[in-house]
Formats: sequence, structure tokens, C-alpha cells
Amino acid sequence: MAASDEDESRNKVQYPLDSRCYEIIDEIGRGASAIVYKAICLPLNSSVVAIKAIDLDQSRTDFDNVRREAKTMSLLSHPNILRAHCFFTVDRSLWVVMPFMSAGSLQSIISSSFPNGLPEPCIAIVLRDTLCALTYLHDQGHLHRDVKAGNILMDLNGSVKLADFGVSASIYESNSNYGLLSAYSPSSLMLTDFAGTPYWMAPEVIHSHVGYSFKADIWSFGITAMELAHGRPPLSHLPPSKSLLMKLTKRFRFSDYDKNSYSQRKKFSKAFKDMVGLCLDQDPSKRPSAEKLLKHSFFRYCKGPEFLVKNVLHGLPTVEQRFRQVKLMKSLSLNKSDEGDEDGSGNSSGSGDQDSNIIKQRRISGWNFNVEDFELNPVFPTEQENDDSNVVKQVRFGGESIISGKERGDSSGSIASDSSASDRVSDLSDDHARQNVTGSSKTDAANDDQVQGGGNMDWETVLKSLLFLKKSLEDQWNEVMNMIDIVKGKKSGIAPQMRLDEPSLIQAIENLKLQLENEKKKNQAMELELEFLKLQCANGL
Amino acid sequence: MKGLFKSKPKTPAEIVRLTRDLLVYVDRTPADARDPKREEKMLELSKLIRDLKSILYGNSEAEPVAEACAQLTQEFFKENTLRLIINCLPKLNLETRKDATQVVANLQRQQVQSRLIACDYLEANIDLMDTLIGGYENPDMALHYGTMLRECIRHQSVARYVLESEHMKKFFDFIQLPNFDIAADAGATFKELLTRHKSTVAEFLSKNYDWFFAEYNSKLLESPNYITRRQAVKLLGDMLLDRSNAAVMTRYVSSRDNLRILMNLLRESSKSIQIEAFHVFKLFAANRNKPPDIVGILVANRSKLLRLFADFKTEKEDEQFEADKAQVVREIAALEPKEGL
Repeated sequence: MAASDEDESRNKVQYPLDSRCYEIIDEIGRGASAIVYKAICLPLNSSVVAIKAIDLDQSRTDFDNVRREAKTMSLLSHPNILRAHCFFTVDRSLWVVMPFMSAGSLQSIISSSFPNGLPEPCIAIVLRDTLCALTYLHDQGHLHRDVKAGNILMDLNGSVKLADFGVSASIYESNSNYGLLSAYSPSSLMLTDFAGTPYWMAPEVIHSHVGYSFKADIWSFGITAMELAHGRPPLSHLPPSKSLLMKLTKRFRFSDYDKNSYSQRKKFSKAFKDMVGLCLDQDPSKRPSAEKLLKHSFFRYCKGPEFLVKNVLHGLPTVEQRFRQVKLMKSLSLNKSDEGDEDGSGNSSGSGDQDSNIIKQRRISGWNFNVEDFELNPVFPTEQENDDSNVVKQVRFGGESIISGKERGDSSGSIASDSSASDRVSDLSDDHARQNVTGSSKTDAANDDQVQGGGNMDWETVLKSLLFLKKSLEDQWNEVMNMIDIVKGKKSGIAPQMRLDEPSLIQAIENLKLQLENEKKKNQAMELELEFLKLQCANGL
Repeated sequence: MKGLFKSKPKTPAEIVRLTRDLLVYVDRTPADARDPKREEKMLELSKLIRDLKSILYGNSEAEPVAEACAQLTQEFFKENTLRLIINCLPKLNLETRKDATQVVANLQRQQVQSRLIACDYLEANIDLMDTLIGGYENPDMALHYGTMLRECIRHQSVARYVLESEHMKKFFDFIQLPNFDIAADAGATFKELLTRHKSTVAEFLSKNYDWFFAEYNSKLLESPNYITRRQAVKLLGDMLLDRSNAAVMTRYVSSRDNLRILMNLLRESSKSIQIEAFHVFKLFAANRNKPPDIVGILVANRSKLLRLFADFKTEKEDEQFEADKAQVVREIAALEPKEGL
């Protein structure tokens, strides 16, 4: 399996390392610090390529990460992974030249032609090919960390490739430092490196961000399956910035999909639902590995690429047309929140994320997968008791108390329950979501009240969490300084207090530094949220 | 793959011996030889190297076992396995190259009876470094050899060899190779060489000051390539601000040519370069014994510099940076032109 693509890499065509050899034809994707172009390579018979131009002068690009990821990417070779032809710099940009996947991303295909999701046999093919890619990556000790329909690309011959491994992830994601470092520790949860000494980590921090293991990719894979099936991921009617907030409050509770928007309920096979259910197990250790998932009965009678060509690609608008359409739509909808762009940059040679409302599901603390309804019911952590009178059950999860998302909505209407939600309630929650996108307060008074009430509660919760986080950051800082002192002491001949071997100490310090960096980034994000909440409070009061 | 773990398990030492035997075969047989068994043997070799990797790193089922790692390491360096692996690497397929690279990298840190025997082996076979460094000239091997190289120079004696070799000069070109992935890898090795072993670096820089900084200034700091300039000025700061390089730093900040280059970098439109350049520039300004020509340049450019610093900010708030800037501004504002200027 591993060496199957060997010939391709041996006999690979040497793409020129000079920007003058490429002629840019069209822009097909755009993000915060990267633009994706369709281009032709003049010396190679004007063959079509995709070029991702990444702005390296952005302060948040950590050069060392870019280097590591570029290296990893150029050493990957698998039929279901989009490889880079070459990398070179053009002034302040890094150009990544890649094969042009002419059908674009599955996300863009769905939003342009399959708004209610793909037919199940097509989903099976796409997912199987994605799993092959994940099996290869995981076997190499790499995590993808951004599995989603927007990163699965298709060519006109129906071949499916997982894209955007690394380079973009390390640049655009705030919490992406772990992947390559944890590579090759079999239990690659970061914390196992410090078994016994993670006392400075806040429980909710451990819970929400450190769990990047191979199994985190499997979770995202499960969400991707739902995205392909329903046309969009669960909770996508909420703006992305809310995902963080949602971790801190239980106020939001929506059913993940609004049933009324479906003309008819879709039916899915038992095997499919079962497969997704396995991926979305709350307990990472219970989720199957990619290799194991491939053997699931859902993939047993999987069809070939021709089936995709016939059933998906036929009559599809081109990638360029789709991108222009999205751009037009964006310019028409005023006051679009800018956070959406961050996500769009994650795309490589396909097309931009068209739905800026896609949220990062894995930042939500927990989910209950409802197998019968084939839906996810989100679980949100909470730190204080609400005046909710009808809380049914409370679970301890990673040190936080979580209210299970399955209980019934309360009478205020701020909670939309799952299948039993009334029309009125789901309307309200949709309005609410929209209001959060625009940040305006022009909706009716009833909704305003809701926001105000909630705002005050969030404020306290967020403040508490932030203080906690600050404390935890300080503790970590001290810890790192101590470590550095110990090592320095040892070097300059002062008898060290502890007998520790130097390489592992240095390693530990490096890891700690990375963690600290990460904490800082998180803290920043939290501060932003805080500002936002303050604003909301001020508006409300 | 399936039957692999079910058959009678081989000991780590046995796996090393089998690997070595096959490597000897690969090393002797030309790639185009018509040996019907060749393909089979290559496959077997790939499997063995993969087994070595999972002993050293563990796998999804098990953590590595110290005793097994020690046995493997001992057998590996008992004979010429490392040389064979390095020589045969171009003949292996991509996946096996990656596995072999990880094995070699890991072995540099394995201790046998609290000795790093990899270091002993390399000291006796130091010419292997020449092969590894030569890898930067071969796009297919560069990333594999580069990774091995960076692990080998964790040993101080090996790093000293590379620093004092003629290869050092080549790095100035490797860093600017058009392949970004290879150039960046060479840059990482260069940085490691010049920062990891403090005493060795200090000795190297003092002994080779003239040619090294002449090259550094003209090829790196004044390179037309943005990435090269940015990486070079950052590394320069790391080197000069290291206490063990104090003597070199004093010398560097007494040269008006160096000052001119740094002032040009301060004027760049790239914020990242400006900030890194400032961290070097501040050393010129803070120097207690500024030569008259340095003072002259600073005085002549005083108003421009003060204007530049007036709205010179890091993106995030940085107290240390602000404090440094305030001190630099004070120093420059207080300068008196010396006689004769």
C-alpha cells in the first residue's frame, strides 16, 4: 500500500522553480493570507496547475512550521493525497505548485449542486478514498488536523484527493502546533509526554485543545461524512466565532439541522449510520483507526470513480464559475463577518470555502450522536448552574460539568430541542444566529431581550474562565522558567538538583514552550471574545 | 505485512543483522542488475527497516522498550550498518528512505550503558558527514540526508568537524537554493550548527571571523531574496545576543560596514525584518566604546532614526522591546559628535 505511488515519485516531472514560467489564469480561492490561482506552466506544454501563494510576511506565520510542513508535504506520496509539484519563494510569498483538481472541493460541489447532500453511494466512494489517505498519513505518524469536505478535492476523472495537509494548517490554525511534534509517539496525545506532571494545565484546556491525536482526525472524518450527507456540517447555522463562546456557556442549544428546510427526509443505510456513529464516539480511544474503518461493511460494495463522474460531476459548473459566484454573493451580503475568510484560506487547489458559516466542530466540547436521526446533538460545557429548571442529567466530562444536549428545551425559547422542536422555536434560534453574524440589533424586541439576558450571564462565565486561564498561563510560564534555570545550572557546572538526562529535558522545554505559545494564542482569542461580549453587554444595558 | 508479526519473533539484534546482510547485497549490486531475486530482497529490506523503526519508536499497540532499543543500537554500530544505510539510501524507495531516515535519527539519541555509541561511531567515520552534506546538491536525497545530518550534529564533536570543514562555505549557497523545501532544510541545519554547541560556535566564529561575516553580510544579509534576509538577520541576532559570543559581538558592532547593512535592513518595508534588524542594531547603539566612525554615522542619521523609532512597534505589546527601544533612543539622542567629523 505504502509504496504504491512509487513510480509517480520516481519519474516525476520537474516543475520549474521560477514564477515567470507560470501564467496565472484565474483566481479560484482566497483566504486571510493565501490566494489560490489556476495557472498554466508554460514550459510544460502549458499544463494546468493550481498555485497557492502564501504570504510569509504575516506575523503569524511561524517559519519553522512552514519549513517542517513543506518538507513533510514533499515527502508524501499517495494516490489519494494531493502532492505538491514544487515549492519556491516569489518575493514575500511561498508558492506551492500543485496539480489542478478541476472539479474542485466536495464542499464547493455540494453547495453549488447538491445543497441537501450527495447520494449515499457517492458518499461511500469519497469517504473510502479519504480514509485511504488518512490511513497512509497516520501510518507515517502525521495528523491531518483539518479533515472536511472543503479539503477533499476531486478531479474530472472522479479521482479523490485529500488536500491541504500541513502547510495551511500550521499557518492558519491557532492550535496546530502539535501534529508533527507528537508524530511517532504512539500515544500521541501531547500530555503523555509529561505523564504525571501536567498539574499546570487547566482541566478545560486539556479537554478542549490537547486531544489532537489520530483519533481527532477520525472525529473530523465523521463530521465530514455528515457534511456530505446533509449538505452542511452540524451547527453550521452558527457563525464560526461562536464556537469558542459555546464552550463557555450552555445558553446555546440548537438542533443541528433545521428539519423544515428539507423538502423530504433523507434516508440513509444502517451501515452508514453505524460507521459515522463509531467515528463520533465521545471517547477517542473507542473510535476506530482509519485502517479499521476501511474494513467497515459500509465500504464493502463501494463503486469506482466512473460512478462519481456520472452522478456528481455531470453538468457541474467549473471551479472558476463557482468561485466568481461565491464572490458575487459575498459582495451582495453586507456586513459579512470576516472570520469566514480564515476558513476559506484552508483550501488549496480546489476552491474557496463558500459557506463562511462553517464552524470548527471539534472546538465544541462534546456531542451526542443520534444514530436513528443521523444527527449530532451538541453537548456544551458549563461552569455554573443556569436557572434552567428542567435540567435532566448532568455528566462530568474532562473536569467540567456538562449538560447533556438531549434534554428538552426550556420555555424561554433560547433552546431548540432536537426533533421535537416547534417551528417557532427553530425560527427564533435561526434569527438569533443571524443576529450574531451581523452583530446588529435590528431584529425584534423579543430577540433583543434574549441576547441581553444571555450576554450578562456569558460575561461572568467568560471572566471566570479567563482568570482561570491567566492563572494557568502564569503557572506554565514559571514552570518553563524553572526548567530553563535547571538546565542552565547544569550546563555551567552548578550541581543540578535533579538527575535528568539533557536531551529529554530540552525536549520537554521545547514542548513546554510550544504549549506556552499555544496558550498565549488561546488567551488572545479569549480576549477577543471578551471584547466582543463587553460590546454586547454595553449594547444590551 | 500480515504474517509479519505472527511468525516467530526475531530479536532486535537479528533484525539488524538481516538488514545489514541485505544492505551489503544492495550496496554491491548495481541498480540495473538482472537478478530475479532482487525485487524480493528489496521488499524484505523495506520490511526489516520498518521493523527497526517500530522497535525504536513503538507502534500503535506498544511503546518502545528500552532494552530492545539498546540491543538494536549496539548491534547496529558494531559493524558498518550506518555507512551501508547512508550509501544505499538512493537505491531504496521513498517510503523506505523515510523509515531509514527516522531510524538513523533516532539512533543518535540511544544510549547503551549511558554512552551515546552513535557518537563514537561517527567520530571514527566522520567522512560520512561529507556524504550527508553533499545531499543538499541532490534534490532527491536532500531532505533525507538533511534530517540525518541535523541529528548527527547534536554530537558536539561532529558539529565541530562540520563547522571547521570546507563544507561550511557551501551552506551560504544551499540556503538560497530555489527549491524552498531544500533551502529551508539547509537553513535549519545552518542555524543548528551556529547555535547548538555554544563553546564550539564561539571558537569557530572567533577563528573564522573575517571570511564568515564577509560571506554572511554579502550573501545573506544583502541577498535579493526576502526569506534569506529575514532568516539571516534573525540568526545574526541569535548569535550576537548569546553571551558566549560576546567577543564576536563586540567586534561585529564596531564595524561601520556592518552598521550600514543593519541600517538598510531597518528601512525595509517588511515588519518582520525591521524588528529582527532592530535587535541587532540596538547592540551598535548600546556599545559603551563606540568607535568614532560609528558615532559619526549615528549622529548624521540621528533625526531619521529617531523618527523611525517614534512609531516603531511590535504587533503584540512587548515590554522588553519597548524598554530596549527607549534605551536606544536615549543613547542616540545623547550622542555628541566627536572631533574631526
